[in-house]
Amino acid sequence: MDLLRRLLLGLTLSIAVLCAEGGAAGAEGRMTREYDLKAIFLFQFAHFVNWPASTFPDTLTPITIGVLGNDPFGAGLDEVVAGETVGARKLVVRRFRTVEQVDSCHVLFICASEAGRLEHIHAKLMGRSVLTVGETKDFAARYGIVGFDVQRNRLKLRINVAAADSAKLTISSKLLRQAELVASKG
Amino acid sequence: MRTPRTTIRRKLILAIMLTSTTALALAGTALTIHEVTSLRALLARELATRAAILAANSTAALAFQNPEDASQVLAGLRTDPSIVAAALYDARGGVFATYPMGASAPLVPAAAGAMGNRLERASLLVSRPVMEGNRRLGSLFLRSDLRALDERVRAQVMAILVAVLGSMGVALALSAWLQGGIAQPVRILAETAKAVLDRKDYSVRARAVSDDELGVLAEGFNDMLAEIQRRDAELEQRVADRTAALEASNKELEAFSYSVSHDLRAPLRAIDGFSKALLEDCGDKLDQVGTKHLDRVRTATRQMGQLIDDLLNLARISRAELRRERFDLGAVGKEIAAELKRAQPEREGVQFVIAEGMTVVADTQLLRVVLDNLLRNAWKFTAKHPTARIELGQHRDNGHRVFFVTDDGAGFDMAHANLLFAPFQRLHRQSDFEGTGVGLATVQRIIHRHGGQLWADGAVERGASFSFTLSEVKS
Repeated sequence: MDLLRRLLLGLTLSIAVLCAEGGAAGAEGRMTREYDLKAIFLFQFAHFVNWPASTFPDTLTPITIGVLGNDPFGAGLDEVVAGETVGARKLVVRRFRTVEQVDSCHVLFICASEAGRLEHIHAKLMGRSVLTVGETKDFAARYGIVGFDVQRNRLKLRINVAAADSAKLTISSKLLRQAELVASKG
Repeated sequence: MRTPRTTIRRKLILAIMLTSTTALALAGTALTIHEVTSLRALLARELATRAAILAANSTAALAFQNPEDASQVLAGLRTDPSIVAAALYDARGGVFATYPMGASAPLVPAAAGAMGNRLERASLLVSRPVMEGNRRLGSLFLRSDLRALDERVRAQVMAILVAVLGSMGVALALSAWLQGGIAQPVRILAETAKAVLDRKDYSVRARAVSDDELGVLAEGFNDMLAEIQRRDAELEQRVADRTAALEASNKELEAFSYSVSHDLRAPLRAIDGFSKALLEDCGDKLDQVGTKHLDRVRTATRQMGQLIDDLLNLARISRAELRRERFDLGAVGKEIAAELKRAQPEREGVQFVIAEGMTVVADTQLLRVVLDNLLRNAWKFTAKHPTARIELGQHRDNGHRVFFVTDDGAGFDMAHANLLFAPFQRLHRQSDFEGTGVGLATVQRIIHRHGGQLWADGAVERGASFSFTLSEVKS
């Protein structure tokens, strides 16, 4: 399945290369659109998740959306977040190279570049009230709370409610309705 | 007393019914309008609540672009059959999900329109934004069928109509019952007044059946009747007293005049008898002057006798009972005329004209006295004329028969007409025309006793006319 997808992706890419500039632009456009959507989703999580009061020193403390690893959003995420608020709180985007750098963070997107360090990241963030979002297969079940999954050209959500509970996060039932709920594995 | 064309009872019922029906109709209309508007408002509120819940439930579906979940949320509308269609639109206004699935224009708009409520034919349309916090995620559209509402309105209006009709029935029954309190006393009062007028019975009393102004009216009416009755009794008593007093004094007077007249006869007879005896026995001893004096004594005595006879007649006429019978006045007149001509055959120049067919119903004896007096007067007062015409006739005046005796004799001065019928009053000197002055007084009394009138017209030397009527009594 995975092989087939990569094959398909490769085929698409080669077609894109073959089709010269127009084709390359098409592939890039498709990728950009996917991450624009993911950026919007990251932003929407701020509306449907409640963090413990201790994560906000005061009422004006902004909600931080962190990006760990090689940022695939470009300016997309900053554009989505710009000027938006949740209640009185502003939204800010911060980028981290390593998990050790992550100090104050509410939503953390773990990029594909970190696929090899997921175990370590998971251990590091254990017990902290951070909504971890990943895009590798089984991310929600093994290493975090929310997993993105692209199916038939649509972005699907997987949520590990037990992991959210242990991170002291309350996820709105309305958000849960949109997701496939998964249990922890391993 | 006329019978009223309409009754107070009907007027009262009409007034009460008109008032209550108007009030009920107005109240019913107001209630209906209120019902319709409040039902519409209720429906709009219900719909707004439902839309708010739906919008809240579909925020995540819109936020995470999950049309399946949105369709499921909308599918929950199945429980309310009055909502026929619904749609969710995304932030750009495109259709995101519909109910029922696959619904399209015109059931749901192809793109999000203006927010708010709108009435379209038999539908109420609601559009409202879907918000998460202060973020607008899209909009929701609901179409509610108003036929169910109309059904409810119809049911309400029917209920109000039934209530109004029922109330009218009750009002009719109540008014029929309540009007009795006013109409009944008035009717009783009217009937009493009618009874009093019809039967001339002032002992009737109105029953007092109410304690309001009508009761006071009935009481006042009764008091008035009592007062009339009291006055009637008083008047009757007074009339009876006066009549008795009058009768008594009349009787006394008659008895007096009768006895005087009667008692005067005896000495008069003596004077006349002894004057005659003196002339017969001692005539040779008297000279011419003495004989003349005695003749004058005897003439005066005869006149006085005549006067007494007339007075007795007058008294008798006043007392005598009327015996009415049918007879011809003309026949009696002819008898008297013949009598007069026989007594003075030398007066050949007097012509009597007596009408035919003057049948009357009266006392024959008394009417003979009347005609005797009037014809004898005419005969007497024409004595100084060589020729004379004396007429007894009748004519109709205002439906009444008027009888008259006319002559062309000495006549009289109308200035003294009022003295003609007074006893002992004479318009001519005794030396010119003989008489006692009692005749016309007697005539007047007889005519009055017959319920008629007597009057006279005349002028000096142009004759006199005496007219009289008789009350027409059916025999």
